Amino acid sequence: MKVSITNETLKAMIRDYKGLELSDEELELVRPELESYLSELEKLEDLDLSDLFSSRLLHIPD
Amino acid sequence: MPNVDLLRMTISELAPKIQNKEVSPVELTEAALAEADRLQPTLNSFITILHDGAMDQARKAESAISRGDYRGPLHGIPIGLKDNLATAGITTTVGSKVLANHVPEEDAEVVSRCRNAGAIIIGKENLEEFAAGATSNNPHYGAVHNPWGLDHIPGGSSGGGGANVAAGVTFVSLGTDLGGSVRLPGAFCGVVGLKQSFGRVSQRGLMVTSFNGDHIGPMTRSVADSALVLQVIAGNDPLDPSTVPVPVPDYSAHLGKGLKGLKMGVPSNHYFDMLDGEVETAVRRGIAALEDLGAELKEVSLPSMHYIGALRISAMADGVVTHEPFLKSHREDYGPDVLYRTIPGQFVLGRDYSKSLKVQRLIQEEYARVMQQVDFLVTPTAPVPAPRIDAKYIKMNGEDHRVRGPGSGLISRNTSPLNAIGLPAITVPCGVTQAGLPIGVQFITGPFEESLLFQVADSYEKVSPSQGLRPTVTVGV
Repeated sequence: MKVSITNETLKAMIRDYKGLELSDEELELVRPELESYLSELEKLEDLDLSDLFSSRLLHIPD
Repeated sequence: MPNVDLLRMTISELAPKIQNKEVSPVELTEAALAEADRLQPTLNSFITILHDGAMDQARKAESAISRGDYRGPLHGIPIGLKDNLATAGITTTVGSKVLANHVPEEDAEVVSRCRNAGAIIIGKENLEEFAAGATSNNPHYGAVHNPWGLDHIPGGSSGGGGANVAAGVTFVSLGTDLGGSVRLPGAFCGVVGLKQSFGRVSQRGLMVTSFNGDHIGPMTRSVADSALVLQVIAGNDPLDPSTVPVPVPDYSAHLGKGLKGLKMGVPSNHYFDMLDGEVETAVRRGIAALEDLGAELKEVSLPSMHYIGALRISAMADGVVTHEPFLKSHREDYGPDVLYRTIPGQFVLGRDYSKSLKVQRLIQEEYARVMQQVDFLVTPTAPVPAPRIDAKYIKMNGEDHRVRGPGSGLISRNTSPLNAIGLPAITVPCGVTQAGLPIGVQFITGPFEESLLFQVADSYEKVSPSQGLRPTVTVGV
């Protein structure tokens, strides 16, 4: 399922985290970069990030 | 010898003539400045040309050399600096309107080292706004034009430097590389571009967008020149915690030693997955040439590169934090490409930032393992030849990819991984397309193995089909 973030959520983040203001038109202009961020996150869903040195050597036995 | 011929030479060829007083630094600098003035309306490669300052330095260099105080191969050599490197008393715009009147009080560390070596700084070079992109199509200072094809980008973000070295204006230009910004102008302008190991050269005095991968490196007309310049700028800087106190070897010592007995790794994934046909043909021919020179080919797999795009997540957050003070006070002075590529970084969650850094580590570990099996890697530098300046998209594998601004990244897909991984990488010209645009091949070695990197690159350079090719810039078109 393709992940997305609504303009309402983005506006709430800007408001609550004191972010840089963006108009509705500007929110559309930042979409390509945001979509790229979300698409890369999706790819990470099947990646086991615990398999790094030294977690690889120090882990709870299966 | 006519001055125009002098300007076509390499530092390695010219330095002995300066040392022997056959060539005058004053006459050489006059010639370089005249060429800069002649080509500026066509290439737009400078933001500031330093006529008076350069001539002062040249007279001092000539006087010192005549007294027998020769400081080494950069003494009396005209060079260029990307305009995001701080220069004391000289405007340093970072390619932005925000910093259009910014005059630093101190030189960047690399600038001090070049001055101490006797180099003559002839100008501050044009770049992408805030060095944030691969085109050098600057909304405030105009587009830089590629000397090989004036309608094409020179690559970026250090495009002014790439254009100047290729056109015979500067003998070396120092650029900066956060995702390929030295190596891409190197590839697109048909010159040598080096991004050495992370920590090898001080970043102090560079407006660093991310402390996780920014580098200052040279663009030169030969591999030997790249080694000479790194010799000057490399070394620990006690005031820059990112530098590492690893001894600086003689980078020229391994030049000419050949490739026999060396293992050459060719990645079976990522680097050759999205390529223009002419680029792939040229790089594959380069690999065959390296085998002919005695390198043993070994295919290597880098499966974690499937996740390399995740590194952009931490870069997004780093970018917005760097720009936040300017965005709060001078947002209206930003061009739209950088503005709308930077602001989305404010939406990156801390969890995702941390995941991005873990992916970086995963990939670093994978490269560390691969570099135990081979001495060096070979890849295409850029997946395509230089796009046209007016191109908004590049079609690749049936999809449109943005050339600049939000969502772009195709051009730097083969160079940006090495910034986060930290390994040294160099681009060397490996031919031209049917349209006459240069193609680059990228070599990569283990950390702090720049001597080996130069050995490999120098061996290839001597058999490259680009040997002796130079652009002819038509002025006034």
